[in-house]
Amino acid sequence: MATPIIPSLLRENLAALAADDARLDGRSQFDGRDLEIEVDCLANAEGSCRVRMGDTIVLAGVKFQIMTPYPDRPTQGGLMTSAEVRPVCGPNWEPGPPSPESIELGRVVDRGIRESGCINTEELCILPGEKAWQVILDLFAISDDGNLFDAFALAAIAALRTATVPAERFDVGEDYKLEVKGAPIMCSYHKVGGRFVYDATHREELGGDERIHITLGNEGHVHSLQKGLRGIFTAAEFDEIMDAAQSRCAELRAIVAEQEASL
Amino acid sequence: MGYGDYQCMDANGIREDGRKADEMRAVEIECGVIPVADGSAYIKWGKNEAIAAVYGPMEAHPRKIQRQDRAILDVRYNMAPFSTTDRIRPGFNRRSREISKVTKDALESVVDLELYPRSKIRVEIEIICAEAGTRCCGITAASVALADAGIPMSDMVVSVAAGKCNGVVLMDLNKPEDNYGEADLPMGILPMTDELVFLQMDGDLSMEEFKLCWDYNVKAAHDVHAIMVDALQRRYGGDV
Amino acid sequence: MSEDSTPSEQDSGAGRLVHPGERLGGHEGAEAGHGVRRIDGQMVAMRMGNLQENGQMVSIDPLSSRYVPRAGDLVIGLVEGMTNNIWFLDIGASFNAILPMSLAPWKVEFGAVREHLNVGEAVLCRVQEVDETQSAVATMKGMGLRKLKSGLVEQIPPHIIPQVIGKGGSMLQALKDLGDARLVVGQNGRVWIDGEQDGMRDIRSALKLIRDTAHLPGLRERIDALGE
Repeated sequence: MATPIIPSLLRENLAALAADDARLDGRSQFDGRDLEIEVDCLANAEGSCRVRMGDTIVLAGVKFQIMTPYPDRPTQGGLMTSAEVRPVCGPNWEPGPPSPESIELGRVVDRGIRESGCINTEELCILPGEKAWQVILDLFAISDDGNLFDAFALAAIAALRTATVPAERFDVGEDYKLEVKGAPIMCSYHKVGGRFVYDATHREELGGDERIHITLGNEGHVHSLQKGLRGIFTAAEFDEIMDAAQSRCAELRAIVAEQEASL
Repeated sequence: MGYGDYQCMDANGIREDGRKADEMRAVEIECGVIPVADGSAYIKWGKNEAIAAVYGPMEAHPRKIQRQDRAILDVRYNMAPFSTTDRIRPGFNRRSREISKVTKDALESVVDLELYPRSKIRVEIEIICAEAGTRCCGITAASVALADAGIPMSDMVVSVAAGKCNGVVLMDLNKPEDNYGEADLPMGILPMTDELVFLQMDGDLSMEEFKLCWDYNVKAAHDVHAIMVDALQRRYGGDV
Repeated sequence: MSEDSTPSEQDSGAGRLVHPGERLGGHEGAEAGHGVRRIDGQMVAMRMGNLQENGQMVSIDPLSSRYVPRAGDLVIGLVEGMTNNIWFLDIGASFNAILPMSLAPWKVEFGAVREHLNVGEAVLCRVQEVDETQSAVATMKGMGLRKLKSGLVEQIPPHIIPQVIGKGGSMLQALKDLGDARLVVGQNGRVWIDGEQDGMRDIRSALKLIRDTAHLPGLRERIDALGE
């Protein structure tokens, strides 16, 4: 990723806005942008979801392949997450091998899903020792106006929860719905102008400092955390955003459930 | 199923997707679909879905790729991993590289590059869902995205592929026709003059069949061009 | 082809919408202006935009464009880098501009460039000259040209600058009044706003409204409505 120049006036303004409890686009501290979500939108994927948060747009596709289980785990299948942030989605994303930023994106989203246990890879067995399902989650950014983390994570879980295992195509039985227990949801908070805000835009990220990603499960359990970029935060700051995450994750979980019900 | 087993047409001359030999698939185009890009377009062509984004003109880095007298087009064609029935592993792909190059050659033929010396214009083509004719979708979407970005061009390139299956010459091949057919001829056409900027061909065609494919492509290009113009006009002509 | 004539704030008789490659007729004796080229005797539109035809010139008001620097333009630049005696400015063109020490308003000791103007800072400057490879040289010697030490810089597409300024500067004044702030519009589409946060936000909303609806009639009314 090309390092964009951080305008000094931007940082000063963000600090002034934060002191005033305001943000560049008029949102309040923990308000999200307008959200659009659509599942089953990719004809050649077994599960899919398109998410739009403000001007950030991403796609998640779920595809299945048959793998040979590892000898020491003969009934276990696999889950693999791959995040691609290609130059299409913004002026600063450059062509070439995956950047550290896009690798971090993929791994953080993957951990949130994996650690929640929502997919039990033991249940992906087809024939012990010979065949098992590998679930491949591909995250694809189309427009980056900030907070790719949450957009990816939301699209990922919605795509998984509406995915169909293509047993017929592989001649191993009848198609069935992929079993996903619960819905881990990620909320990301970015320090902008000295305080944490939710769902930062690209401009807020540009002028901001560190970020914290929180993935919560159905009972409000914490499944994964990640702090990124340079910066220092206090326990009190963390408590505040954990509070905010509890309610926002629940809201988003309900939205995912709506999408599932719509199919 | 092997070659020769696929029947592209029934006894009434109707193809698997309901079309006659000289009919195109349904095409829809929208511009401005990628808010952060300087120009962008989305195309749905049959079951194909592609997006194109344009960024620039901007300084061409590194300096060694700069041309003193004109801009260069930096084109990337790529298929998303979930775009096909079998997942595509992300990474270097020879086919994508070749298509990126011929797309660049096609578009550079019409863009007014001399207007922006030493700079580059990025064209990013992503195939989200593939049926057949993705390179044609890509070039066509890129043309609309370039117009949307205000890049000056002497015409917009429209690309489409005719071919032959079971001995019948067909307009705008679909997937089984492309897979099991005997020939395909993708072209990039300038609709104002019917000149060509892109041409490839694979298979076996008699001179007569070749000419018919050519004519089909020109006709289809004109139909698609009208849809491209309509998409641009809707974006700029008064729809809020 | 659309026959819509969309009257704009600057009513320069905005003509019909044309697309790249559209043939515009012979127009014998007329000159090919901005966005138009004569190919094989015919005038050809090279861009998306509104056609302008008077007897002597055929040109296009573009609907989307990258800023092309011209000598004399007032622009707002962002410092991207520097050497010991030159600053490199991003002015939103296809190429960065250079600001040589000799054209800066300060007396700069060798090696002290950063103290006066550092990476990420914004300056109000003028394009001194543009060479044939579109390299621009910027100058800060001139009235009002300075480092911008407060406020915020927004970006608007260069082709709507006329609407942001308005006839005789009327829209510009309306925006200043709306936000009770200082406002400078650079020819490169960068707009400097300086005032209280509330007012600055109102002006930003107004700029967004102009950007989204400039091609529709009644722009001034919509902006005035924001102030109510």
